[in-house]
Amino acid sequence: MSSSLLTPDPGLVFWMIIAFGLVLFILAKFGFPVILEKLDSRKKFIDESVVAAKQAYDKLEHVQEKNRLLIEEAKREKSQIIADAAKQRDLILEKAKEKAIEEANHIVSNARKQIIQEREEAIIAIRREIAVVSVDIAEKVLRKNLKEKEDQMSMIERLVEEINLS
Amino acid sequence: MIKKFNIILLLFLSVSFLFSDVSAQETVKNAPTQEVAEELDIKELILDHLADTYEWHLFTWNEESYTIHLPVILYSKTYGWNVFSSSKLEHVKSLDNHFYIASEGDYAGKIVERNMLDEEVRPLDLSLTKNAASLLISSFLLIVIILSMAKRYRNGSLDGEKGFTGGMEFLIYAITNQIIKPSIGKEYKKFAPYVLTLFFFILFNNLLGLVPIFPGGANVTGNIAVTMVLALFTFIIVNFAGSKHYYKDLFWPDVPVFLKAPFPLMQIIELVGTITKPFALMIRLFANITAGHSILLGLTSLVFITVSLGPAINGGMTAVSVLFNLFIFFLEILVAFIQAYIFTLLTSVFIGMARPPELVKKQKVESN
Amino acid sequence: MLLSVLLQAANTTDYSSIGIAFAIAITVIGAGLGISKIASSAMESMARQPEVAPDLRMSMIIAAAFIEGVALFAIVVSGFIL
Repeated sequence: MSSSLLTPDPGLVFWMIIAFGLVLFILAKFGFPVILEKLDSRKKFIDESVVAAKQAYDKLEHVQEKNRLLIEEAKREKSQIIADAAKQRDLILEKAKEKAIEEANHIVSNARKQIIQEREEAIIAIRREIAVVSVDIAEKVLRKNLKEKEDQMSMIERLVEEINLS
Repeated sequence: MIKKFNIILLLFLSVSFLFSDVSAQETVKNAPTQEVAEELDIKELILDHLADTYEWHLFTWNEESYTIHLPVILYSKTYGWNVFSSSKLEHVKSLDNHFYIASEGDYAGKIVERNMLDEEVRPLDLSLTKNAASLLISSFLLIVIILSMAKRYRNGSLDGEKGFTGGMEFLIYAITNQIIKPSIGKEYKKFAPYVLTLFFFILFNNLLGLVPIFPGGANVTGNIAVTMVLALFTFIIVNFAGSKHYYKDLFWPDVPVFLKAPFPLMQIIELVGTITKPFALMIRLFANITAGHSILLGLTSLVFITVSLGPAINGGMTAVSVLFNLFIFFLEILVAFIQAYIFTLLTSVFIGMARPPELVKKQKVESN
Repeated sequence: MLLSVLLQAANTTDYSSIGIAFAIAITVIGAGLGISKIASSAMESMARQPEVAPDLRMSMIIAAAFIEGVALFAIVVSGFIL
């Protein structure tokens, strides 16, 4: 058919070497190194930013966690304080009640003692009066009837019994 | 499976003889002049478009062909340096010049001269043929595009780019990360410019070859001289970047002595290997692009073959041809990318094989 | 009858072109078989493990281009040289 398609033409080889050599020289010196460097630096920048963003995110999470814990702690303390206060109030109330009861008992016992004492005093006074009265009666009786001894003895006995009984 | 294949082959062969019988009779009986002439026309048309010419035929409008006549630069032993426009070559054997285009023989289609012994010889032909001119134009465009990109990147901002620059940047980044870094390893910055230039040169010329109007349309990468120079550059760079380890493997590999010493069998095999690898690169690129262009041209000339068969068939065949052309066109764009990619991939693999192995060690491939 | 026809055919047919056609045809058959083998194993692997599909796709295309290169080698030699 045509082997002219498969034989390289020297003129074209010459021009191709010139063209490709020129392209290679210019692009390898001024073109691609700049582009590759910029791609590299951009990649590094992106990597660093990703790492920094991750760190910031972690820190933010940490801080948020801490905040949450603090708030929980505060809530717990609040409820505990309220419970304590309630307990305290109950205690105080009970103590006050007990004290009141005690006081009342004290007063009552004091009053009782006083009543007994006054009763005793009253009885002593009455006895004295009775003694005086009985002495008067006895005087009168003695004045009247020193005659009948047995009647009077029995009457006196009867009076003394009665006095003892009262 | 092999038995079945044997049977099929046998059947096919026997049937084929029958058919050759019939067709031989036909060619003897009727001498189809018009058919043969047109067929040769198409073949010549395709070969013409694939080959290199001295002028650039843009189009033919109203029976007038508009061509750019490129300069012809010759150095002949008898007539010295000659530079003239190729329009002068249209007149065979005019008085002015002694050069003419041989119409047949070994140098069909090329400029020849008659030397003292009255034989046709080729002078040293450095003319700007269609392919050379297209090479210069595409190189200039490539330099302009990439240098303008580089200038944009000098201002130091790290923002992303949009549009065409972003696309080119994506290509450069993809090739650096997926081809160059895994194959060459740590010293990739030294070799990346050559490999990237190679990729973009081949891709650009492949794509320009598909564009039918000026400045595209010249079958640049489908020319064996162009691919030969590319493979030559790869060969030179691979062997000049070869480390001691590489040359030791070439001339004294780690094989039993009887393969090396009395008769250097391994050495010859390795040397042949060094040459065949770039040779295969050259042939692969050339054949793929040429085949693609031939198919495109053949399908296009399908329309012109059926002109004589009437308007109905012609219309149908035009539709078929346009459809197939579209499909093959897209396939050729894919092939353009793939061939550039494979040439670049193999070049970087060869460079990686030539460097000492510890520098090339499998690095963690970063994602895009 | 067949013999005379065969002799006539032997005079006029260009056997080298039949040889070229056979060479190209067998090359294309070989390339087709090779590429179909690659494609079928790639499909199987992709079906078995869909997450490696992008890597497999690129390798498949590269391997197919190598085989095509060899086939085009033969076509170039037989078509343009012979």
